[in-house]
Amino acid sequence: MTGPVVVVTLLILVAGLASAIYRQWHQNRTLKAQLEAVAADLQHLQQSCSRFVPAGVLQHLIGDGVQSGIEAAAPERKVVTVLFADLVGSTAMSGRLEPAVLARVLNGYFQRMSDAIHEHRGHVAHFLGDGIVAYFGALQPNPWQCNDAVRAALAMRAAIREYNVELGREGLPLLALGIGIDRGLGLVGLVGARERMEYDFVGRTVNVAARVQTLTRIHQADILVTEALSTELDARFVLIPMPAEFVKGISEPVVTYAVREGPSAAAPSAEQPGDR
Amino acid sequence: MNGVLQQVEWESPLVEPLPDPALQSYARRRQGIPHPMIAYFAPVPWMARAVVDMHPEYGLLMHLDQTVADLVVLVVSQENSCRFCYAAVRGLLWAQGMSWARIQRMEQDLTRADLPPRTMAAVAFGRSQSRSGPAGAQAARETLRRSGLGLEELKEIAFTAALTDFHNRAHTIPAIPAYPIESMPDHLYVRLLRPLLGLIVKRYRYRGQPTVLEPVPPYAFARLVETYAGSPIGAILARTLAEMWASPHLTLRCKLLMIAVIARGLGCAVCAPEVSAALQTEGLKESTLAQVLNHLDAPELDPIERLLVPFARETIWFEPAPLQRRARMLRERLSAPQLLEAIGVASLANGLCRMGATVLDL
Repeated sequence: MTGPVVVVTLLILVAGLASAIYRQWHQNRTLKAQLEAVAADLQHLQQSCSRFVPAGVLQHLIGDGVQSGIEAAAPERKVVTVLFADLVGSTAMSGRLEPAVLARVLNGYFQRMSDAIHEHRGHVAHFLGDGIVAYFGALQPNPWQCNDAVRAALAMRAAIREYNVELGREGLPLLALGIGIDRGLGLVGLVGARERMEYDFVGRTVNVAARVQTLTRIHQADILVTEALSTELDARFVLIPMPAEFVKGISEPVVTYAVREGPSAAAPSAEQPGDR
Repeated sequence: MNGVLQQVEWESPLVEPLPDPALQSYARRRQGIPHPMIAYFAPVPWMARAVVDMHPEYGLLMHLDQTVADLVVLVVSQENSCRFCYAAVRGLLWAQGMSWARIQRMEQDLTRADLPPRTMAAVAFGRSQSRSGPAGAQAARETLRRSGLGLEELKEIAFTAALTDFHNRAHTIPAIPAYPIESMPDHLYVRLLRPLLGLIVKRYRYRGQPTVLEPVPPYAFARLVETYAGSPIGAILARTLAEMWASPHLTLRCKLLMIAVIARGLGCAVCAPEVSAALQTEGLKESTLAQVLNHLDAPELDPIERLLVPFARETIWFEPAPLQRRARMLRERLSAPQLLEAIGVASLANGLCRMGATVLDL
């Protein structure tokens, strides 16, 4: 009688142990899979983040932890080109369109503009209402940042024209764009409050680009660049000088140039008197 | 076994493979196993030889710990999103007996930063040289020195990162198929042959020995090569550069212009003067060079140079698929050897300019 009881008891114990081992093994496997998935996500996140934050800053954030990383990645002085774009007449349009339609039109606009900026090695720093602030040369050294920014502006002009064909076909209002571009020295780094920080460029250049953008309406030109930027541009861009204008917050009148064509379409012999 | 880069968008190959038994046998003699993709590089022999010979496993490193070198290759390939090289180095580690779990732990360690401080500093240095270029190299170099790594190890880490930058671009830009390498360990026969593969890899893998450097003609990168005098790295760099300059598919001036643009884009102040001097020797006016460096074009350039100067710039900071698409556009205007040589020159220049900024002012 004792023998079968012992055997049954042992079998129950072995079964219990096997079941516990299996459960533990299964749990370990699940945890390992979760850990691998999290690690893979982290890798992807790190790679995606490199589009918005320079590699060095990202390394500090990952290696030192967020708080120490922010302290270690001190902001630095850099020359950056700032492109400021805004839709003309958007307030009137927002009153006329259904919210869902307006959102679709604006999202299509933002996507096309972002693509044009990204294609020319800029990065979109902010969407401000229907405005866009983009930086060239902030994330990585870029000695060709001025040409890139103006090429991006020309691509944005072309993209708006194409988009307007689509909008016109649907009977929607057409979009018009004003772009101001300036280049200058400023502070680049992580700025903001503890709860929310962003990699940003701080300096007079951002204000100048925004003010120059407002001049596009006065000068009836969609792309305006400052004198500081024009001197760095490839001579084959066709620029038309505009009268100097005072703008809010800047004591000196601002000299600007309208961008007519890029190097691919422009031939030096085709330049008109007064053009650069 | 999947790696984290398998979701990276990858185009179809830009060039056709050209089977070359002599080249394949050269690769087998050097590495013990056939090189699965060497046929893609056959039209440009110097590039094919560089792909085989510039490898940290085979007789180039004298001071740096091999595992640290493997980690640098892994992390730089990860940074450059090179699916091919990433899968190749994982496959190599696996073939040498490392379990997938251990490889994954290593990858996680790279993310979680819990490696030993010396290894961590070495990996951070390699990553920084590749990703930030000269701008980030100085700070990473100081960290590396503080962690106790010697000058010779530092130079070998710089070289390992540079050769990985070369391999990453040389495989990424022409979109050399990554899937066959990625899926290789999934095949039953490969798993069965794994112990044999491991033995072959270990047998052919060897440490570098002191090597005499023949006098280097005063030309671009000569100072960089001389920095590695006495190491097999100096000899392999001298040979690769000599073969690259002599290769007939692109003119010497075109190659130098591409390198000058990459040096400028990276802000490499130490390589740029040598390249400028070489261009002036080739008869390029200073004003033309200034225009090229400022605007990536000049009327005096020939049609191929006008295509390849802006292309060189694209290779400095890149995402694989857009760069592969841009390279594909060149395919219509250039022959396969010309395109491949352009990719080789840009790849090598990206590695060497980054390395030059790191080691030339030590």
